[in-house]
Amino acid sequence: MKGGGVTGKANPLARVGALFDGARDWWEHAKVWQRYLVYIGAIVFALILPAPWIGSFMSPGADWTSVLIYPVGTYILLAVGLNVVVGQAGLLDLGFVAFFAIGGYSVAYYGTQYGWNYWATVVFGIALAAVSGVILGAPTLRLRGDYLAIVTLGFGEIVRITANNTDEIGGARGITNVPHPPPMFGMKFLLDPAPYYYLMVAAIVLVIIFSVRLQKSRVGRAWAAIREDEDAAELMGVPTFKFKLLAFAIGAMIGGLAGGIYAGKAVFIEPNTFPFILSATILAAVVLGGAGNLPGVMLGAFVIAWLPERFREVDWLKDMLGGKDPSEFRILLFGGVLVLMMGLRPEGLLPSRRRKAELHEGTGGMGAMGAEVAGPETEASTEAVK
Amino acid sequence: MLLEVKDINVHYGKIAALKGISLQVNEGEIVSLIGANGAGKTTTLKTISGLRPLTSGQVLFNGEDISKLAGHKRVQLGIGQSPEGRGVFPGMTVQENLLMGAYTRKDDLTADLDEVYELFPRLAERKNQFGGTMSGGEQQMIAIGRALMTKPKVLLLDEPSMGLAPMLIAQIFSIIKEINKRGTTVLLVEQNAQQALKLSDRAYVLETGRVVKSAPGLDLLDDPQVRAAYLGGH
Repeated sequence: MKGGGVTGKANPLARVGALFDGARDWWEHAKVWQRYLVYIGAIVFALILPAPWIGSFMSPGADWTSVLIYPVGTYILLAVGLNVVVGQAGLLDLGFVAFFAIGGYSVAYYGTQYGWNYWATVVFGIALAAVSGVILGAPTLRLRGDYLAIVTLGFGEIVRITANNTDEIGGARGITNVPHPPPMFGMKFLLDPAPYYYLMVAAIVLVIIFSVRLQKSRVGRAWAAIREDEDAAELMGVPTFKFKLLAFAIGAMIGGLAGGIYAGKAVFIEPNTFPFILSATILAAVVLGGAGNLPGVMLGAFVIAWLPERFREVDWLKDMLGGKDPSEFRILLFGGVLVLMMGLRPEGLLPSRRRKAELHEGTGGMGAMGAEVAGPETEASTEAVK
Repeated sequence: MLLEVKDINVHYGKIAALKGISLQVNEGEIVSLIGANGAGKTTTLKTISGLRPLTSGQVLFNGEDISKLAGHKRVQLGIGQSPEGRGVFPGMTVQENLLMGAYTRKDDLTADLDEVYELFPRLAERKNQFGGTMSGGEQQMIAIGRALMTKPKVLLLDEPSMGLAPMLIAQIFSIIKEINKRGTTVLLVEQNAQQALKLSDRAYVLETGRVVKSAPGLDLLDDPQVRAAYLGGH
C-alpha cells in the first residue's frame, strides 16, 4: 500500500491534493479564534446551503433540501459514526447499516405501536443500537481484519432478514405512518423538508463535537494505538478488547441516531431501506474521504451521496448516450470515479497527516485493517513459531 | 526470583509451539534465550507478556501466578516488552510513541522521559518525527524506550538486533547493558547468539519448543555444541 506511486505531472489531482494538504497544515497551526471563525463559517454555510440558488446547479432535477437530508445528511451522519469504528479504532465493519436499521425501526415500531414520544423512541433506538453493538462485538472482536469484516457483514444481513421475517414489525411490508418529530422552536415537522434539514444539521454538529472530544481524549489515543498496532497497544497497557468494544458501541449509537432521524422524516420504512450496499457505500465514503479525518470523511460522504444524484442531470452525458437517461449509468460512472480516485489519491481526499504516515509505513492502519499482514520488513512467517 | 516460567505448553491451533518450557529470571540479571528460527523464543516472550494464551503450565511473577491475567494488566505489574518487529506506532511522533508507553501511569513522567532521551540522544533530536518514517535502528530505540516508559521491573526484548547494521547492533547492546546496570532486569531473545551470550549472566538454548541447555552466558560461548550450532565455530 505505498501511496507515493503516482506523483508529479502524471497526477492531475496532485495540485488539488497539495491544496488540501496546505489547508490541513494551516489548520494544524491555526489559532483558537481562527478555528472558531472556521467553525462558525461552517455552520453558517450549512444553514444557507438549502438556498434555491445553490440548489439550482447542485440538484436541478430533485428538491435540493430533500437531497440534502437524504442521502447527503444521512450519509454524513452515518459516515461520522462509521469513522469512529473504521477510522479511529481501525476495525473493519461491513454491517454498519444494521445499527441504522435498529435506530429507524425503534422509532417506527415504538412510535406506531405504543405511541411513544418521538424523542423517547430516538433515545431508546440509540440505546438499543449500542447494546446490539456490544452483543455483536463481544464475541467477534477477538477476530481481526478480514474475519471481523465477514462477521459484521453477516450481522447486517441478519438484522435485515430478521426484520423481513418478523410480522410484529411489519415483515416485508415494513411500517407505515411513522410519526414525525413534535414541533420545536416554532418549527412544525410536516411536509416541508426544511425543519428536518435543520434537525439533521444539529445532529451532525452534535456528533462531530462528541467525536472530536473523544479523539483528543485518552480513549482516542488508545484507539489510535490499537489501529496502528494492536499487540503493541496491549503491551502499553491499553485494554484493547474493552476499547474495541467501546468503539463498536459508540459507532452503533451514532448509526442508531441517524436511523431515528431518517425514520422521523421518511413516514415509511421497510427492510429494503437497509440493504448491504448501504454499508458498503458508507464505508466507501469513509475511505474515499480519508478515514480518521473528520472533514475528509464528511467530504467523502457528501461526494458519495451527491455525485450519483447529480449524474442524473448531466446534459452532455444525455447527448453522448444518444438520449438515454444517464441515471441508468450513474452507478457505473460513480464506480469509475471511485477507481480513479483510489489510483490517484489512495490515502483519501483529505487524509490526516498521521494517516498518511501510517499508510506509507506499509502495514499500519487501514492498509491492514488491523489484520496481521506481513509488511516489507516483517518476516514471511510472522505467525509461525519462533 | 522475579520471573518464573513453569513447564508451559503453547499451541498455535493444533501445532505445539512450546513443549514444556521452564526458565527463571532473577532480579538484576540479563538472561538470554537463543535458538534457531522456530525454536519458540518469540512465543515464550509473548506468553510471558500475555499476548499468547498458554495451554498448560504457569507464569509466575514475583511469586504470583499471572498465567490468566490479560496482557495490559501484566504491564502494570512491571512486565515491559519491546515486541518482535518493533511495533512502533507509525502515525505517532517519537514523543507520542514514548508517551504511549506511559499510558497507564498517572505519576510525573519528565524524569523518565529525560532518561530515555539521555539513553537515546538520537530520539531527542527527532522528537516530532513520525515513528513510521524513522530508520530500523531508530525504531528499535523507540520500541525499547517506549517499553522503558512503562517502568518495567523486567524488560522483555525480542530480537533488538534484527535487521540492523553491525555498528548499530553494538550500540543497542551496550545500551541494554546500561539499562540493566541502572536496575532493570532484562530477558533477551536473540538470534545473534555471539553478542547476546557475551552480555548475559545466564542463557537458555531453545530447540523446537524445548530448553535443551542452560548455563551462564560465557560458558555457553565456549560450549562446543553451541559453537557449532549457533556461533559458526568448529
